[in-house]
Amino acid sequence: MSSSMLTPAQRYAAGALFGLALHQAQIHQTRPLGSPSDDDPTGERTSSGSSSDSVSEDPQLWVHESSGLLRPVFRFLEVDSKAWTGLEETAGYSPAKHHVGAFLRLLAEESGDSPSEAPDKERALANGVDAMASSMEKTHVDYNSKKKKHCEYEHEWREKFSTAETQSKSEVANVLAENQQETTHSMSEVANVLPESRQETKGNAASIGHASVKSHSKLDETPPEEVLNLLMLSYSRKVTVLYELLSACLANIPEHKKKSKQQRAGYDARHRVALRLLATWFDVNWIKMEAIETMVACSAMALLKEAESKEENQSEQSSWAKWKRGGIIGAAALTGGTLMAITGGLAAPAIAAGFSALAPTLGTIIPVIGAGGFAAVASAAGSVAGSVAVAASFGAAGAGLTGSKMARRIGDVDEFEFKAIGENHNQGRLAVEILVSGFVFEEEDFLRPWEGQIDNSERYALQWESKHLIAVSTAIQDWLTSNLALELMKRGAMMTVLSSLMAALAWPATLLAATDFIDSKWTIAVNRSDKAGKLLAEVLLKGLQGHRPVTLVGFSLGARVIFECLQFLAETQDHAGLVERVVLLGAPVAIKDEHWEAARKVVAGRFVNAYATNDWMLGVAFRANLLTQGLAGIQPIEVPGIENVDVSEMIEGHSSYLWATQRILEQLELDTYYPVFDNTPLKP
Amino acid sequence: MDSPSSQESVGFDYLFKLLLIGDSGVGKSSLLLSFTSDSFQDLSPTIGVDFKVKYADIGGKKLKLAIWDTAGQERFRTLTSSYYRGAQGIIMVYDVTRRETFTNLSDIWAKEIDLYSTNQDCIKMLVGNKVDKESERVVMKKEGINFAREYGCLFIECSAKTRLNVQQCFEELVLKILDTPSLLAEGSKVLKKNIFKQKPPQPDTSSSSCC
Repeated sequence: MSSSMLTPAQRYAAGALFGLALHQAQIHQTRPLGSPSDDDPTGERTSSGSSSDSVSEDPQLWVHESSGLLRPVFRFLEVDSKAWTGLEETAGYSPAKHHVGAFLRLLAEESGDSPSEAPDKERALANGVDAMASSMEKTHVDYNSKKKKHCEYEHEWREKFSTAETQSKSEVANVLAENQQETTHSMSEVANVLPESRQETKGNAASIGHASVKSHSKLDETPPEEVLNLLMLSYSRKVTVLYELLSACLANIPEHKKKSKQQRAGYDARHRVALRLLATWFDVNWIKMEAIETMVACSAMALLKEAESKEENQSEQSSWAKWKRGGIIGAAALTGGTLMAITGGLAAPAIAAGFSALAPTLGTIIPVIGAGGFAAVASAAGSVAGSVAVAASFGAAGAGLTGSKMARRIGDVDEFEFKAIGENHNQGRLAVEILVSGFVFEEEDFLRPWEGQIDNSERYALQWESKHLIAVSTAIQDWLTSNLALELMKRGAMMTVLSSLMAALAWPATLLAATDFIDSKWTIAVNRSDKAGKLLAEVLLKGLQGHRPVTLVGFSLGARVIFECLQFLAETQDHAGLVERVVLLGAPVAIKDEHWEAARKVVAGRFVNAYATNDWMLGVAFRANLLTQGLAGIQPIEVPGIENVDVSEMIEGHSSYLWATQRILEQLELDTYYPVFDNTPLKP
Repeated sequence: MDSPSSQESVGFDYLFKLLLIGDSGVGKSSLLLSFTSDSFQDLSPTIGVDFKVKYADIGGKKLKLAIWDTAGQERFRTLTSSYYRGAQGIIMVYDVTRRETFTNLSDIWAKEIDLYSTNQDCIKMLVGNKVDKESERVVMKKEGINFAREYGCLFIECSAKTRLNVQQCFEELVLKILDTPSLLAEGSKVLKKNIFKQKPPQPDTSSSSCC
């Protein structure tokens, strides 16, 4: 009955590996790979087998039954339910490295009971995935033009705003402030040269990054024995396994006894993180996984559409029964009426507009992967067909995010709107990125910092409270150009922001008074960002992103919005599994008295805090709390699991985040599972 | 009660990891079921690995036994190798009515133990199951005793079906573990750590420094 290409034993192994990856991913939340705490004898401690309790006693674990993360996958894979406890315990009980190799071997084995056409199917699927991946890569041909555009933007803004800050620095060196003109000039020259040299360094950075990933994976995850096992495992088998696991993650099979309350339709961020780790173990490029995601999504949409058109010809009752059987009811209930929107022909773009709207997407896929490939894909997805939560949930997503002008919902926030960026919309992408600017001079600054970035997820920029943000940004910029600020910086230029502000208790009252007029605007902006954060959390909880894992990136007050959002999510019951990754840049958030640990737990994958020790503006604007509480934007956060990245060298001042963010993101290589930054993160 | 550890649900003095190995169909899962829930039923072959917890009072100690029941089928053999690690007790089971299950113990399973077990002192136990089928018996008790003597392990014959000697089998094994100081030390770590509930040791230098 199963349409799976894998034998039962292989599916068992796939389920086990997924469980192991899921548990490891949870461990890495607080103990990232390669961190010093990774070396402590934890591994040995648990491996002695005597000191850890059984999984069934710890509902906090992702592999525990109550999380609803693992068992549905087993069920989809048709793993015998008697084997589930064993798998869960195996995943949670002992260090993964002892088991990964064994399960890989089981996966690689060809057993007699597999259907003879399976290898061909696997190969067809793998070819399809390859083709899809390369077509996704091709869409990046406009990379250079984008890059150019971004450079222009950088150029423009750098000229406009960085003069004050950079100049004051060069001034300290020269103690010369008169020929502003000249300085600006040389500045723009530097900016001209930079893009080219940057390309090169970028290449280097990337290779370093990769090297470090490799060494990581060798050091921490793959003993030599497993490398051998990996060689035994064919590429097409790996792709097939990932494909089936993803299908299993997305499928929403109705459960008879609802034991787990937390079950949610759609694509859980924790699943995606586990798949990312698994792909790393498999040594399969992440873009392949993204291609798989798109293929599953598209075929699922197509199948759903087909079911829908059939349904029209049938009596209402029988079709209802069919929907129910397919498990789509569950999806509808959980996606909060998005299915209504679909069938009601509302704004949901991909599905409601009918097959014609879908056709371009499918139309691009079929020629790319070939009809044979598509058949393989469809048959693999066929098992998902009746039970697709995804199609229903993400079909409406575009409308969900961009369509929601939630401004009126919380009276205090005047503006809160998502704007689509990039061309990945309605392309069946299963990941969403929300990008939040927080230091802006005009409305364009909400979009332009993010436009040049190459990414395969569906991307949205959040435009919020532009009036206040522009006001506070401009005020700060004006203040920075004032003589008082120059004076102030000259005094402290040799120190880091933190140390000099500490020393600045002795600042003349006049200097401090000068910042007063920033303070009022700043206070308003901070207040609004907290509220916007809450609003963002509500959007995510409502599933307007289509129940897909979200990556949140923000700088300045935008980072604060994200942090507040995470804190709010941490307070809710249903928080886990929404957010996959977070990057905060120059975040005006205190370190003490804030719930960083709780916020960390909400994020399934990487959590990056990028800080610059020379970020004057942030220090000054935030100084009220600084002395006692610490500040995320200018110093590392000592919370386990948070990657601290020092970007001082890339940042000339707070406004630099407008154009430097993209480069920082590139160097972070968010698509790798391991913490990566081409500069080794500095320890304080 | 030298090292009690506070547990939310059930307190226990020691936690031991036990492992069941042996050919397919010798009754490992039945033995475990008989021990943990005093019942017997026809079971289908184990897939991969199963796991059960049993709390028991043996030798005056409160014990928590984490018992791993492995599949005997050839195709899963590759998996079981990783479960030897850290086990304090290993139970080798054979079927007294099938000679090859007995010979395979020395040909295959004993070698696996040597290869994969990380515990020098770990206690091994030989168990001849299905003695209720006395009429079909082909492996004599004497042979079992000789094997046990040769390999330096405990020996018992039992029946998962009639529950004859099932409790004794586990008890003897555990008593022997309790007699072995190094194993006792492993099982009695007070630090029953849960890595997610507990903060990992981090130098608390956080933001108090000024540079």
